[in-house]
This record gives sequence, structure tokens and C-alpha cells, in this order.
Amino acid sequence: MTDNQSHVSRRTYLKLAGGAASAAAIAGCTGGDDGTPTTSGDGGSEATGTTSSDGGDGGSDGGSDFDITITQGQMPSGLDPHDHRETPTTVVMLHAYDSVLSRDADGNITNALATDYSRVDGENAATFTLREGVTFHNGDTLTAEDVAYSINRIVKEDVGFASPQRDQLAGVSGAEAVDETTVKVLNENLNPIVFSEFATYCDVMQKAWTEEHDKSYISQNMMGSGPFQLSSYTEDEEVVFERYDDYWKEPAAASGVTFRAAEEASTRVNQLLQGETDITVNVPPQEVQRVNNSDNATIAAAPSTRIIYNAMRYDVEPFSNVKFRQALNYAVDLESIVENVLGGFGAQTGQPTLEGFVGYNPDIDPYPYDPEQAEQLIEESGFAGAEIELNTPVGRYLKDLEISQAVAGYIDELPNISASVRQRDFGSLVDELLTGNIEDKPNWYLIGWGEATFDGGLVMTALLSAEGALTSWNNEEFDSLLEEAGNQTGDQRAQTLQEANQLAHDEAPWIFLNRQFSVYGVNNSLSWQARSDERIDAYAISQK
Amino acid sequence: MSLSRFLLKRSLHGLFVVWGVITVVFGLRVIAPGDPANVLLPPNVDPEVRQQVIRELGLNEPLYVQYFEFVAGIPTGDLGLSLTTRTPVAARVLAKLPATLELAVAATVVAVIIAIPLGVISATRRHDPADYGATVFSLLGISTPNFWLGVMLIILFAVQLDMFPTSRRPVGFDTIVAQALALQFGSAWDALTTWLWHITLPAITLGTYFTALITRLTRSGMLDELGKTYVRASRAKGLPETLVRYKHVLRNTLIPVITVVGLQLGTLIGGAVITEAVFAWPGLGSLIINSFNARDWPVLQGSLIVVGAGFVVTNILVDAFYAYLNPQVTYD
Repeated sequence: MTDNQSHVSRRTYLKLAGGAASAAAIAGCTGGDDGTPTTSGDGGSEATGTTSSDGGDGGSDGGSDFDITITQGQMPSGLDPHDHRETPTTVVMLHAYDSVLSRDADGNITNALATDYSRVDGENAATFTLREGVTFHNGDTLTAEDVAYSINRIVKEDVGFASPQRDQLAGVSGAEAVDETTVKVLNENLNPIVFSEFATYCDVMQKAWTEEHDKSYISQNMMGSGPFQLSSYTEDEEVVFERYDDYWKEPAAASGVTFRAAEEASTRVNQLLQGETDITVNVPPQEVQRVNNSDNATIAAAPSTRIIYNAMRYDVEPFSNVKFRQALNYAVDLESIVENVLGGFGAQTGQPTLEGFVGYNPDIDPYPYDPEQAEQLIEESGFAGAEIELNTPVGRYLKDLEISQAVAGYIDELPNISASVRQRDFGSLVDELLTGNIEDKPNWYLIGWGEATFDGGLVMTALLSAEGALTSWNNEEFDSLLEEAGNQTGDQRAQTLQEANQLAHDEAPWIFLNRQFSVYGVNNSLSWQARSDERIDAYAISQK
Repeated sequence: MSLSRFLLKRSLHGLFVVWGVITVVFGLRVIAPGDPANVLLPPNVDPEVRQQVIRELGLNEPLYVQYFEFVAGIPTGDLGLSLTTRTPVAARVLAKLPATLELAVAATVVAVIIAIPLGVISATRRHDPADYGATVFSLLGISTPNFWLGVMLIILFAVQLDMFPTSRRPVGFDTIVAQALALQFGSAWDALTTWLWHITLPAITLGTYFTALITRLTRSGMLDELGKTYVRASRAKGLPETLVRYKHVLRNTLIPVITVVGLQLGTLIGGAVITEAVFAWPGLGSLIINSFNARDWPVLQGSLIVVGAGFVVTNILVDAFYAYLNPQVTYD
């Protein structure tokens, strides 16, 4: 990225962030049973890269003979890689389709189909140099035309269709093939997050195959260059892949992967314990011991990119008072909630940005449990005797109702305030949050947000800035810090974001709750590391 | 009225019932919270993209237009496209129907095989330990929730004893029939054993409540019949007790039982939601729940039309059969 291009207006930054940052999703808008999330979003600090690492790991010399079965909470909504917004579908897609760039398990950008990428000096454009010798599953060679077509299929309605992923490539206006191995991506403006977007999104399809078939066929079949090729697909039941031996990296260790779904967590766990599946998602805390006590499976957990919090509307009493908001944070024994409600599968938070994200402030500790301080602050706020009601979805996030009941319970224990819980249908709660009018939102509600780009700036923009998609807060100082960060890069930007986190902690627009963990059950015969971005990559799985 | 006229008349009534179901489901759209676009897309999606998707899905049309388009498509089998998978609803729903029918029929068979002998024993050995045992079993069966029983059966018979699989339906009965028709008897036999192996626990789970119900019904019906004068007359003319009980009394007892079994079959088609979820059984129940969670209204409508039609058809057949069994009842 050249310096003269690094200045972005606040509005542009917010627009990019609001769109592309969609990595998140307040908890899986099309989720599975325990809060299967919706991916999206990206952006964040950008390192223009010319690295040559292949990215990812796994693979083998081929020839091994073991199959993997993965059971998610939900089946993919179809097989068109550009026509979905759910994590369960993304997980299936990444086995047959490659992207231009990728991420390792820690979220760092790595090369995939591209071996080199850079910005074009003096233009709002970027180029990707593609590796040679990559073939689709039908044996045809992947070319720059295929990559450009795939990008255009997402961002241009007249090329493909109205893709729901268009804003995942926010700021990208199109792409063209310069030669056989070079793709030029055209941006509407500077688009500081362009490489980050391509590290998370844009599965590459074969142009000729896609043009040859209708939409319905593409939703039932696959033609990518990924490590596995589609063997069979039964809608709502299973997707079966077999290893693609001509993959551009080492062929996968596993000879095949089968994806199935069971919406009931106990059903998934029973399948795992019986050896009917190898990996299951979203093992609830009460089932963890049963899995660990079994002979054939163990738990693998990773901190996810999802933060769970209680938002409070700044424009209504008593939540308009900062002392009142702080009091609620002091009133909640977060450590106990993480230990007892979540079985230890969570981490306490004290700021909007999660540890490991750009902008995380290591000097901020979570609010301590101090009921006396809480009681005193409520008295000082002038809202003693207030009655408040926490709106919570049920079954959307890990133990969401139980967390809400614990939070309201702690607050209700204070002698000068009473709190209760109102259970809400997730769909109706989201409807209220998305009208764009703060007056439609509940005064106090639990919600979650995942941000696959590991960027705190995008989290804060979406959830706390005046123009954020889900904000219930308005603070000019905070907004100007975000604007400042939008015009900075590297350490300077991280420093500004840390200040914003400190301000958010002090002003307490939320009751800061927990970082959700992704908890998987894994067959003991497999070697696999859970990822923070909730993706299960069978290519990285080997036999012990 | 002849049987054919009766069937025609009832079928016309049934059409109105199904139309009512469609209309009610459309009405639900208005009052049910949760915009499909908000469920399909993340909350921070660009508003323009949201509008584009809404247009693409046809959700921007007024509800009455969507309603008439939907109703107009039904005679041709066009139930629209699923909002989530964008595939034809009719195909998706029909693909689920065999799994649900199999489970409903299997549960009914399990129930009838267990319940009728149990009810007979209970009635003929009134106040015996066998009667008390059957009564306790019935009470337990009626009061045990499906979801608990299913999970317990899985933990005991699948996880602990390793006698059955925990879940899934790897092969359907239609496959078994197809293989048998193709004279591939070896494959058909293998498929049949796999099918039976997988359907046993879900069928028991779904059938338990039903078993208890029929046991109670058989017992009380039989006790009622045993007290009637024709039984005394039969005994007086020297008929063996076995003949009295099983030829005359049981036959009469079974008339209301068959009615309930038939009606219950209709209920089971749409009522296996919990059992299907616990056993990951890919039937209509799972589809209804998933489509409601995703606010996939076309699929929900399609599923409920099938359930409604199933209910209507079983009702008509039961009524027709009832009149056949009981000459006192006519088709008028």
C-alpha cells in the first residue's frame, strides 16, 4: 500500500467497515442450533504482501486411506459458493473451492491461488499473480479469466446474479484478466482492506463451467480447484467429497470427507461417541465431560472471534447514565459465569476488542465483581429503585439464556435495583435491531458478534460508532478516535484503537460479557487443531 | 350414497381444508416475527444488497400478490422456490415424504403389534398382575416425553450396548423396493436390515405414546363389549371362550381402535418433529422446523400442504373403512 493512498475519509472508512467488515454477524443469522454464525466481513489492517508461502498446512504424500465425517448443526443451503452467507455452507465450500488468498489458523493472511499481490501505483487497483499449474477438478487449467469472472460474478449483478456476498468485497468494482496469470482488481476508491477481503472471501469457480450451466445446476454441483472434489450431494442430508489427487499442493491426507448435519447437540455427541462421525461442532458444556470420559473422542476448543455482550441504549434512562452502566458491570460476577455457566469455555472481556485482534488493549482488565461498588454507583446515578428488563435470544449463542439469567440474577441481588429477563425470538429481536432507528431497539439486550478479520476497528465501528449497523451508543470522542484510526496504518492505528477501547471500557456502553469459544468433539484417531474463524478444514486433518 | 360419491364429496371438502391451511400459513407470515431477509443475511449487510436479495426472492411483492401466485401454481405442482436453497419446494418436500411416512407407519406397526395383545390381556385378566402391569406401562408410555425417551434409548441401546445406531437414515424403503424389483435380492436384503436397524429406535420412540393410547383403548373397548348381551348369548349357546373373545368381542372392539389408528397416522405425518430431530431423521418434521427457523415460508407452506393433505386423505380413508367395518354406519 502506498502512503499517498492511505488517507480515507471517515465516511468511506465507515462504509467499507460497515459493508466488508461483515465477517461477523451477530451470531449467525442463519445459524445452527447453538448459535451457528454467519460469516462475513473483513477488512482491517492490511499488509501488502509478496510472500511466497503457500499458506495453510496439512496434506500428505497422498495414498492414505481414511475418510472423515464432519457433523455440523446445519446442512449447506446449496452448493453455489457465491450464494450464501452462513458458516456451515462456507465450511463445506472451502473443500472444493480455493480462494485467491487465505488465512492460517491464527488469522494471518497467506497465499493461496495467488503467489504475489500488490497495489497498482497511481490507480485504485490491485493485481494478483496466480500460481501456474493449478487445475480444476475436470482437469482444465485455472486461468486469470476464471479468477476475474469469479470476482465479477460476486460484484456485478449482470455477470452473475444478485450475490448476497457483494458487500464482502466492498469497494471492489470489478476485475479483469491482464494475461494468463495476472488479475487486476478494480476498486471504487483506495479500499485499504482489499487484500484482507480476498483472504476471507471469493471462491474461484471455472468460468466456462459456470456459464455453461444454469443456476439450479450450480446449486447442486461443484467445479473448483480445491483439495477435494464433489462425489455426491443429497440435499439436506449429506455432501460427500473425495480427495483430488492433482491438487496444486500435496494431496490431502484424508481420502474423503463427508458432511452431515444434526440439529440436536446431544445427537451429534452420541454420533461422535459411537464413532459414526469424526468431528462435531458446538458441543454444549454439559456434554463436555461425557466426551472427554469416552475412549474414542476428546474436546478441541478454540476462542472464536465472537464476543457476547449486553448493549444498553444511551438515549433512555437509566442507561443514559454512565455511573448506572458501570454499576451493572460491577454487579456481574463474570468469572463465575464463565466457569459455571460456560464450563470454562469462554473468556472474560472488558473491552469491545478481543485479545489477538488489531487494537486490543492489554492494559484493560475486565470489571471486577464488586456488588458494594455497584450499589453505591446506582445510588450516585440517581436511579435507585429502577426496574430493568434484559431482552435475550434463546439458543442462538452458547448458553445465551443461562448467561442472561445469571446477569439479571446478579443485578437483581442488589438491594436498590430489580432486573428480569425477557426471552425473545431471535428473528424478531434482529428485526428490531436492524430498522435503523434506535427507538425500535430494546433498552437492554444480549447479542453476539463475530468478526473473522481479527480487527477491532471493524468491531467497534459496527457495534459502537454512531453509524454502526448495530449501535446503541453515541459518543463523539469515540467516533473521532475511530475516524482517526481510519486514516492510520500499523502501530499508529493500533494505538488509536487501544485508546478507543479504553474509552469504551470507561464509558461502559455494554455490560462486557464473554468471548465465545468454539467447542468441537474430535475422534481420537485424528490430529486436528480447532481454528478461531470457525472453519473446519479437512485438508489440515491427519491420522495420528 | 355410493362409495365413489362419498369419496368425491369428501375430497372436495378436503380441498377446502387444504386451502384453509394455505391461507392460515400465509396469515402467519403477517404476524410471525422475523423477516426472511434478516434471517438469511447478516445484520451488517449493505442495505442495497439486502434490497437486491429481497427483490430476487420476490419478497418485495405485496403479500396478496405472493398469495395468488402461490395458489395459482399449486394445480401445476409449482410450490415456488425455497428461499434458502433456491430449489423447487415441491421436490424438496416430496423428497422428505418417504422418510416421514416410513417412520409414521413403522411407529404405528410397533404400536399395534404391542398394544392390541396387551389391551386384550389387560381386559381379559382384569385385576390380575398382568392387568396392573399393562396399566402401569400405559401410564408410563402416555406420560413419557418423546425427546427424553429418544435420548435415553440412544444412550442405552446405541451408546452403551451398541445394539443400534444412534441416528440417521442411510437407506430408504424406496431403495429396498427398487432393488427388489430389479431382482437384486442380496442388495435388497442388506438394505432392508440396515433400514430396520436404523428405524427401530425412532419407531419405538414415536410409537410409545401411541402404544399406550391403543392399549388403553383396546382394554376399555373390550371390557365394554364383554359386558354386552350378545357375549352372554354366545356363551350361553356354548361357543368356546376363545371364539367369543377373539372372533366376536375383539372384532367389535377394533372398530374404534382402527379409527384412532388411522387418525393418528395423519397426526404422525406432521407430528414426528421431535423424534426426527433427536434421531437426525431427514423427514418432514425436520424440514418444518428448519424452514420455520430460517423463515423459509415457501418450504413451510409446501410442507404444511402435504401434512394437511395427508391428514385429509387418512381421514377420508378411515371414514370409508369405518363404514365398511360397521354396517350400521352408512356413507350418508
